[in-house]
Amino acid sequence: MNETTTQELPPEPSEPRRLVRARSGRVIGGVCAGLGRYFNVDPIIFRIGAVVLAFVGGAGLLAYVAALLLVPAEGSPSAVEGAPAARNRWLVIGGVIVLLLVTWPFLLGGGLLLAGLLIPFTLLVAAGVLVWWFVSGEGPAGDAGDVAKRAALGIGILLVCGLIAIGGAWVAAAGGETVVAIVVIAAGAAILAGAFVRPVRWLVLPALALALSAGTVSAAGIDLDGGVGDRDYRPASAADLRDQYELGMGELVVDLRRTDLPPGDVPLELDLGIGEARVVVPDDVCVATDAQVGVGEARTFDLHNEGVDLDLDDRPDAAPDATRLLVKADVGVGSLRIGQSGTDLDFDRGHFDFGRSDDDLGRNSACAA
Amino acid sequence: MQPRPDITSLVAGVCVAALGVLLLLDAVVAFDLRFAVLAPAACAAIGAILLASGLTRPR
Repeated sequence: MNETTTQELPPEPSEPRRLVRARSGRVIGGVCAGLGRYFNVDPIIFRIGAVVLAFVGGAGLLAYVAALLLVPAEGSPSAVEGAPAARNRWLVIGGVIVLLLVTWPFLLGGGLLLAGLLIPFTLLVAAGVLVWWFVSGEGPAGDAGDVAKRAALGIGILLVCGLIAIGGAWVAAAGGETVVAIVVIAAGAAILAGAFVRPVRWLVLPALALALSAGTVSAAGIDLDGGVGDRDYRPASAADLRDQYELGMGELVVDLRRTDLPPGDVPLELDLGIGEARVVVPDDVCVATDAQVGVGEARTFDLHNEGVDLDLDDRPDAAPDATRLLVKADVGVGSLRIGQSGTDLDFDRGHFDFGRSDDDLGRNSACAA
Repeated sequence: MQPRPDITSLVAGVCVAALGVLLLLDAVVAFDLRFAVLAPAACAAIGAILLASGLTRPR
């Protein structure tokens, strides 16, 4: 009779579960899907948590980008071998340092200064990944090195777009809006044609940057004609008044306190691209204002308006035999101030102000009640 | 068989060209481009491009 003995073999050591960025079910980089699989929880929980934390100090965004760089993608060699490739070791070390720096202010009360520096950096990295994703179609898959390389390429594209935007804005402000418009239309036509032949998605972002920067300049009404710097005008009489006071960028002051103004309507036109325009009037002059400010504020006596696309239209009648100054002003970005001065007539321009608080520019008292 | 056009490029091309036309109108005719027009136009263009990109990208 054969006697068989069953001998229990020691269980084979099981492979530790590895946290990986999941390929299936991912929305962006597979971080939340991977966490959900790892903890056997619906990944939507992690997605909601990441979004909420992103709006609470940006910690969710930081953590997501850190996971994007540190957690290997499913199927990548580092995920299989369980050890990071040598070429990515510096990224792992950097990621750990970043995580420590991030947690330090939150956990140890070190203030939000560091987080304030890291969050913009993280946003930049995230923007770089998204830009490269849009341009090339390569999402944040692969190992940390691939993600970092794509983020760097995307940031490079963003920088180029920034330079194009600055150039486009400058050209549009210098009077070349038509040229910019034609270039944008040509770029749009090229992208459109490329859709049928060979897509040129890399052209989309530079074209948008050019169009939006030039559009912003046009909408604000920024015009660099008239030069850059500070201008201070003190005409002696109505005959000395210019048809238009124009300045591209800087501070434009028109001081009429010593100007001999006749009774009746006296026109005054201001055109400022970027900066501050100030009109100082004597107490016995009624001021009617028709002003447009693209972005900024307009303040005349007791009227105050700020924001974008400002229209200030205040046209009171003058008292009998009084002078009515008809101010027509166009300011692109900045502020317009019209009022009476509380300071000495011989003020030092370098220290000029209205001599009053910001809320008090005098009263438009020479106008008819 | 004609290959399908790239929808993202198609939408992006139309949007960019439309923004260019808006700029041209402001530059050559009496059309005053304001932020009240530019902001919705820019948001619509960027939104349409992102939508086209997201809806056509293989998952």
